[in-house]
Amino acid sequence: MVVKCDDVWREISNYFEGDLDPALKRAMEEHFAQCRHCESVRDGVRNVIELYGDKAMFTLPAGFYPRLRDRLADQVEGQKGSSLGWLLGAAATAALATLALFATVRDRSLPQPRAQMSQPARRLPQRLVAIVDGGKTFHVPGCPFMHGKYHMVTPDEAVREGYAPCNRCMHEALRSAGNATPEFEGEEIVSRETAAK
Amino acid sequence: MRNRDWSEAEATGMSRSDPGHEHEAALIERIQRGERELFYELIRPYEKRVFVIAFTILRNEADAEDAAQDAFLKAFKYLGQFRAESRFSTWLIQVTINEARLRQRKSHLEIMRPIEDQENEDGTYTPRDFADWREIPSEALERREIREKLVAALGSLAQKYREVFVLRDVEHMSIEDTAQALGISPGAVKTRLLRARLMLRDLLSPGLEGIWAGHSQIPKGPKPWS
Repeated sequence: MVVKCDDVWREISNYFEGDLDPALKRAMEEHFAQCRHCESVRDGVRNVIELYGDKAMFTLPAGFYPRLRDRLADQVEGQKGSSLGWLLGAAATAALATLALFATVRDRSLPQPRAQMSQPARRLPQRLVAIVDGGKTFHVPGCPFMHGKYHMVTPDEAVREGYAPCNRCMHEALRSAGNATPEFEGEEIVSRETAAK
Repeated sequence: MRNRDWSEAEATGMSRSDPGHEHEAALIERIQRGERELFYELIRPYEKRVFVIAFTILRNEADAEDAAQDAFLKAFKYLGQFRAESRFSTWLIQVTINEARLRQRKSHLEIMRPIEDQENEDGTYTPRDFADWREIPSEALERREIREKLVAALGSLAQKYREVFVLRDVEHMSIEDTAQALGISPGAVKTRLLRARLMLRDLLSPGLEGIWAGHSQIPKGPKPWS
């Protein structure tokens, strides 16, 4: 097979791709040996491919990675990953700690409530109590002030999770507990203020 | 260091292996199930690639970085829609190209599109210069001005040639993956690649007072393909 310069120029890219019929490739190499122009084209294309393909050709701008990470953090990690998020989080934590400290000091300085219903519970029944879904109080099962779906937990769990006793049904239960009714036996609940005294 | 060796045997294979496809598929599944922070691991091999592709299209470093960030954000947002029918890398590059083109349209850079963009691809390209080329040592890339001139030469090509060239010759994607990423046929990729390589060769040619001849500018005046 004999090839002309036009053929070489048309196929030079495929030559470097290794995408040539073996006979054509051999013919092109014979042509390179005789034609300085086509040899120049081959060498130039090879240099172009090698130089642009070198890893050192393009570099990332300084600070690219931290900026990318920071930009992605809100989506990928939520606020915690970004520096702004960290700042906001730290500020919020400090504010909450200050509020908690203020509330404690203020609480200790206030007079203790006198109303019977406001007194700290002395005993909580150890049988299960009911928490209405979406509510804030816990009840003795069957309390007429319960509405909607409910689930059962121990009184300790209800207190630990922040629920308050129902002013009506639990009041009755506590009064009964004061009469040492066996079914309401349980450990004594002592408020922090009482314990401090 | 050269990362290609143009021996006879080498001329038959130019593919570069992507990170393990199975590992990527497993990562994507875990991210989709809620382990979101694995996204960083998923994109780590492609951070530079995404930037370089965006840079090649936009020809501006700051715009390219913004586009790269937006591309990664979109990839994260739409990862749930990614189907393993294509490679993650190809899909990510499609997202990047779309993002860069969108940004380009918004900034009206298409006004500056080189005139040869409308050129008919079917016409044959004739090399202009036949001066002797010596092998250019890769150490030349350590010189900043050399790199800048190579970037400038690439930037002077029409976008359709830049896109193909950067995917194939800079990022070493296969012809098929390049075609898929750009939404064109493998034949069109080959045609554009041939032209891009020959144009760059002429732009950088010693005989045309290219950078190897010691002059400081890419040759001005009519380009050989115009």
